[in-house]
Amino acid sequence: MSSAPLLAVADDPPVSLWRDAWGRLIRNRLAVAGLVMVLVLAFAAAFGPMLTPYDFLSQNLDARNAGPSLVHLFGTDDLGRDVFSRVLYGTRTAFVVAIVVTALAVTIGVTLGATAGFFGGLFDRIIMWFTDMTMSVPNLLLVVVINASLKAPLSQWMETQYLATLNPFFRETIWIDFLLVFGSMALIAWPPYARLVRAQVLSIRSRPYITAARALGLTNRIILTRYVVPNAIGPLIVSVSAGLGTAMVLESAFSFLGVGVNPPTPSWGNMISDGLRVWQHYPHLLAVPAIVLGLATVAFSFLGDGLNDALNPRGSK
Amino acid sequence: MSPALLRIENLKKHFPVRLGAFGEKAATVYALDDASFDILEGETLSLVGESGCGKSTTGFAILNLHRPTAGRVIYKGENIAVFDEARMRPIRRDLQIVFQDPYSTLNPRMTIGEAVGEPILFHKLCSKAELPGRIERLLADVGLPGRFAQRYPHELSGGQRQRVALARALACEPKFIVCDEAISALDVSIQAQIINLLLDLQEKYGLTYLFIAHDLAVVRHISDRVGVMYLGRLAELGTREQVFADPLHPYTKALMSAVPEADPAGERTRQRQILEGDVPSPLDPPSGCRFHTRCPIAMEKCRSSVPEWRDTGAGHFVACHAVP
Ligand SMILES: Nc1ncnc2c1ncn2[C@@H]1O[C@H](COP(=O)(O)OP(=O)(O)OP(=O)(O)O)[C@@H](O)[C@H]1O
Ligand code: SF4
Ligand SMILES: [Mg+2]
Repeated sequence: MSSAPLLAVADDPPVSLWRDAWGRLIRNRLAVAGLVMVLVLAFAAAFGPMLTPYDFLSQNLDARNAGPSLVHLFGTDDLGRDVFSRVLYGTRTAFVVAIVVTALAVTIGVTLGATAGFFGGLFDRIIMWFTDMTMSVPNLLLVVVINASLKAPLSQWMETQYLATLNPFFRETIWIDFLLVFGSMALIAWPPYARLVRAQVLSIRSRPYITAARALGLTNRIILTRYVVPNAIGPLIVSVSAGLGTAMVLESAFSFLGVGVNPPTPSWGNMISDGLRVWQHYPHLLAVPAIVLGLATVAFSFLGDGLNDALNPRGSK
Repeated sequence: MSPALLRIENLKKHFPVRLGAFGEKAATVYALDDASFDILEGETLSLVGESGCGKSTTGFAILNLHRPTAGRVIYKGENIAVFDEARMRPIRRDLQIVFQDPYSTLNPRMTIGEAVGEPILFHKLCSKAELPGRIERLLADVGLPGRFAQRYPHELSGGQRQRVALARALACEPKFIVCDEAISALDVSIQAQIINLLLDLQEKYGLTYLFIAHDLAVVRHISDRVGVMYLGRLAELGTREQVFADPLHPYTKALMSAVPEADPAGERTRQRQILEGDVPSPLDPPSGCRFHTRCPIAMEKCRSSVPEWRDTGAGHFVACHAVP
C-alpha cells in the first residue's frame, strides 16, 4: 500500500481553527483598524479619567463655551467644564454600559437559546414564544415605560434609605440610572442572542461528529462542552462584537431622550443632547461627542465584520 | 461456521414525521421492518440496496443510536435494543461505527491526537502517561505518521480523515465496526487503500464488520456474506457465492445483472435486466411484498401477503413467494 498521499501535509506547525481565524483577522485592514480603535477607546475608558488634568465636574465659569485650544483640547461647555475630560469619562460610561448590558444579555440569551435548541419540544416552544414576544415590543417604548414607572419610586426609596442610614451610597442616584439602563437594555438585547444560539445548537446537534461522539459512548455533558459549545461560539463572538457597538448607540439614544444615564455623569448621549441645544453657536459641543460615538460605532462594526469573515471563511466569499 | 456475535430479531425502526406546510399531518417512515439475521464473529457482512432502503437505519438501530421501534438485538446474551445510554456506555466500546463523510465526522476544534485519545481516556483504557504512545500506535495501525497527532482535521485529506475516524473507532478496542459507506465519498484509488486497510485490521484484531455499501464490485471483493435490502425489508441474505452466483430473489437478480462480470465470456452473455418504475415511498410502502409494484413475476398473492423470511437451506435466506 502506498503512503504517497500521507506526505500531503507539510511539516509546518499545525494550525488550529482559532489561530487560523486570528491570522485571517490581522490580514484584514479594516478589521485591524477597528480593533485598534476599540483598544484605544477601551484604554481611554479604563485610564482616561485618571490622566486628564481636569475633573469632569469641575466648573470654570470664567471659561464657558470656550473653543478648542491647547488649554482645553476640545474646548469647554456651558458650565466651563473640560469637554475632553467629559468625553473620556463618557467613554468609560459607554464601555461600562455596553459590557454589562451585553454580558447580561448574552447570559440570558445563551442559557435560554441553548436550552431550547438542545432539549427541543415544549421547552423550545415556550422559550421561543417568550423570545418572539419580547422582540415584538418596540424597544424605546419598553425602556420609556420602565423608566417612567420605576425611576421615581426607586429614587424615593433611595432618599428614605439615605435619611435613615446616612450611608452616602444612597445619595448617588447614578446607581438607579445604571440599574434601570442596564436592566432595560439587557431586556431588549437578549432575544437575538437566544435565537442565534438556538439555531447554532440545532444545526450542530445534527452534525455527524455529534453522532460519532454518541457512538463512542461520551456523555451529554462532554458532548455539550467539547463538541457543541466550541463549534457554536464563533457566530456568538461576531454577534457580541456588533452588540457592544449597538449597546453604545442605544445608551446614547436613551441618554438623549433623557431615559439613560443622567447628568452630571457624562455620557456621549447626554453630551450630544446638551450640545444639540447650542450647536449653532458652539458646534464643538455637539461635534466632539457625536464624532466619538460615530468612531466607536464604526470601530465595532469593522471589528465585527472582520471577525465574521475570519471565523466563517466560507461565508465570506 | 463461527458463532453469532450479534443476533438481530425482527428489528424495526419507524420514524414519526410531520408533513404538510405547517407540519399538520403526522405520518410514519417505515425505514426498517422485521429484519432478522445473525452477524457472525469475524465475518464481513455487507448490506446492499438502493439509496433510502434502510441500510444506515439498520446499522444505527443495531448500535442503538436510533432507538429501535421493536425487535431485539442480542449481544452477549442481552437485548441491548432496550438499553438506555448509561447501560449502553460500556457496550459502545465493543460496537463501533465509521461514517461515510470524513469531512464532518471529526470535531473541527480537536486535534487528531485529542480525537483519538478521547475514547481511550473516557473508557479508561490506559493511563495518562501511556496515552501518547497508545495514540501513536493507533495512528500507525491506520497508516498515519505519529506527528499527525498535532494536526487538525481540516489540514488532512479525505482519505487521511477516514483513517483517523477508523483509528478513533479502534481506540475503543472494539469487536464490531459498522462501516456505513465508509469509502463511498473517497476517490477510487483511495477507496482501494482503505479497503485493504480494513481487511488488514480485521485480520490483526479479529474484527467483525457490517459493511454498508452501494458498490457491488467492492462488496463482492470483501464480503463473506451479503444481505440485500429493498424498501426497509431484507429481500435476501446468504454467502457471497450464494447471492452473487445464485440469487433467488427477483430484486437481487435485477441488481446482480447490473454488475459487470470479471470473466469476458460471462460479460458477453450477461443479460441486463432493467427494473420498471421507481422505488415507492417508505411513507406508504406497498402491501404484501413491498417489491410487487416492480417485480417482473409478481403474482396475485404478492399483493396481499408478506412473503416469509426463511432459510432455503445452507443459510441462504430469502423472502419471496416465487422461490420454492
Ligand atoms: N431521522 C429520520 N427521520 C425520518 N426519516 C428518516 C430518518 N432517518 C432516515 N429516514 C428515512 O428512512 C429511510 C431509510 O434511510 P436510510 O438512511 O437508512 O437509507 P440508506 O439505505 O442508508 O440510504 P443511503 O444509501 O442513501 O444512505 C429513508 O427513506 C430516509 O428518508
Ligand atoms: S414475493 Fe412476489 S412480488 Fe415479491 S419478489 Fe417474490 S414474486 Fe416478486
Ligand atoms: Mg445510508
